[in-house]
Amino acid sequence: MSADQPIKAWVREMNHLQPAVDDLAIVPLTDSAAKLTNAQLAELGHAQFAALVECSDDAIISKTLAGEITSWNPGAEKLFGYTAHEAVGQTMLRFIPPERRHEEVDILARIARGETLRHFETVRLRKDGERIDVSVTISPIKDPRGKIIGVSKIARDISERKLADHNFQLLLKEVTDLKAALDEHAIVAITDPKGKINYVNDKFCAISQFARAELLGQDHRLINSGHHPKEFFRELWATIARGKVWRGEIKNRARDGSFYWVDTTIVPFLHADGRPRQYVAIRADITERKKAEEAVRQLNAELESRVAQRTAELEAANHELEAFSYSVSHDLRAPLRAVNGFTRILLEDFSADLPPAARHYLERANLGSQRMGELIDDLLAFSRLSRQPVTRKQVPPAALVKTIWEELKPQWESRHVELRVDPLPDCLADPALLKQVWVNLLANAIKYTRPRELAQVTVGCTQASGQTVYFVRDNGVGFDMQYVDKLFGVFQRLHRMEEFEGTGVGLAIVQRIIHRHGGRIWATAQVGQGATFYFSLAGDNPV
Amino acid sequence: MNESTEVEILLVEDNPDDLEMTLRALRKANLANHILVARDGAEALDYIFGQGAHAGRKVENAPKLILLDLKLPKIDGKEVLKRIKSDPRVKSIPVVVLTSSNEQSDVLESYHLGVNSYIVKPVNFEGFAAAVQKLGFYWLLLNQPPQS
Repeated sequence: MSADQPIKAWVREMNHLQPAVDDLAIVPLTDSAAKLTNAQLAELGHAQFAALVECSDDAIISKTLAGEITSWNPGAEKLFGYTAHEAVGQTMLRFIPPERRHEEVDILARIARGETLRHFETVRLRKDGERIDVSVTISPIKDPRGKIIGVSKIARDISERKLADHNFQLLLKEVTDLKAALDEHAIVAITDPKGKINYVNDKFCAISQFARAELLGQDHRLINSGHHPKEFFRELWATIARGKVWRGEIKNRARDGSFYWVDTTIVPFLHADGRPRQYVAIRADITERKKAEEAVRQLNAELESRVAQRTAELEAANHELEAFSYSVSHDLRAPLRAVNGFTRILLEDFSADLPPAARHYLERANLGSQRMGELIDDLLAFSRLSRQPVTRKQVPPAALVKTIWEELKPQWESRHVELRVDPLPDCLADPALLKQVWVNLLANAIKYTRPRELAQVTVGCTQASGQTVYFVRDNGVGFDMQYVDKLFGVFQRLHRMEEFEGTGVGLAIVQRIIHRHGGRIWATAQVGQGATFYFSLAGDNPV
Repeated sequence: MNESTEVEILLVEDNPDDLEMTLRALRKANLANHILVARDGAEALDYIFGQGAHAGRKVENAPKLILLDLKLPKIDGKEVLKRIKSDPRVKSIPVVVLTSSNEQSDVLESYHLGVNSYIVKPVNFEGFAAAVQKLGFYWLLLNQPPQS
């Protein structure tokens, strides 16, 4: 493409817009332009000027010093909505909103003084009454002798720019408000990509106790508490240097050496190419929460150590108890066996040589040692209960009761004893331990109904506060309720040996088993009328 | 006891009272003719393995029954039991633990070690005597040991 081609194209464009310069369209504007006459050049200049005016988007208007419009280009038609025909001969006043009329007077006065107004922003009225923002440049038109003969005016529609400006202002305000809100709430700092602090808000200064001037230009090592390992900060920097947001909790040191914790979010602001431009760190003071957490942690640790200590103590106590029980079972029984055995041997081997009183006393000694043997066995059984773990399973009590009743047959078969078993719901209990409960309660019922012609034993259940309460009722000798407190004590008996045999451990065992199940046991009775024993098993709602 | 006589029962018991009553019960049942008494675990092992005071005794010449107390001086009954049951030469000798302890842990451990029977000595002498006599009859007369 040769150098003159764009110019030709430009002229052709003018051509299209300005039929008056048709014949100029073919005039080459290259070197041959220099050969044109002055008149031709003036004419060409005028045509070019006319074409510029015609095709400008800006309104280009000329008027007399008195304000009367003398020319009105298509740009003006578009901007104000009046055709040239309508506008020429009018004054500008009709385009000026009433409250701005004074502007025109002022403008004309200044033009008359030879001044030029550049980019004067004002508001004008369109034909349809709409107000438009315009930027106006007004200058005097002078004749060749320099006398001001008119006014040229170029007006540009700046509504869009104004709107954009307005929106920008709104946006700016929003951002500023958001920042103010953020500053109200959070501890904010901004650093450059190297970590140098170039902004801190008041909250940052307040919590760190450093003045703003002390912080700016420094980095966050100024408030490093030494709490976090190097890897912690290495990971932080690796994250934000990659342009990723980092979140975490940081322990910092204030100016006076005290520590504070901040929940931190660091957001990298990036260049277009993705490199971090700056880092914005937003933090919240979580010192109180951390203190509370620490307190909880300490409490837990204390509690754990206390539990561990208690467990150790308990284990030691259990161990001692085991050793004690073992020694009781082993060492206490041997001498008893000697007393029992040798008194028996005396009775067997020397009976003929002994007076009746001697035989009687030997019998007493023999029985005494035997009874002590029973006491020791029961006591051991009782103490073993505390060490035995409770393993709960679903147990059908009615079947269990019937099995036990058969096992106890030697104790009731020579008498008239009636057993009634009501329907019983299943329970959750250690089967072996629960069996011991039923055995002891049923054996007691059989024992204490011995004087009755017809002994009646009833096993049933009731509901109390959502729990199943099982009971064993008999029509036996009963007991005096004023001694009910003693009923479940070890070695406590409410009847004399000669009336009813026993060691006084059976109900203590029952109570311990029930308590180990988290349940409750109690009894009601009346002397000569019988007794009822009730028990529940906690956490036992298989229904 | 004369070692040339065949020992039928090795009674390992440290308590003189229990020892006397056991011997009496066995005597009454005519089971006391060939009894050797060891008063602690070490002595029992010496006899069983033909060592110490019993050096030269043939291990194969084993008693028909060992009655073993658990709580013994020097070497306790469980250790004695363990050594017997882990030696192929003597492990088939019936061992009956005769003890005051009815602790489950003792019972379980004894059975784990291979005891043939576990009897708790009753305080009651009649019961005690009956138990000793019954187990004597059972192991010496009823039970069929392997041919040596």
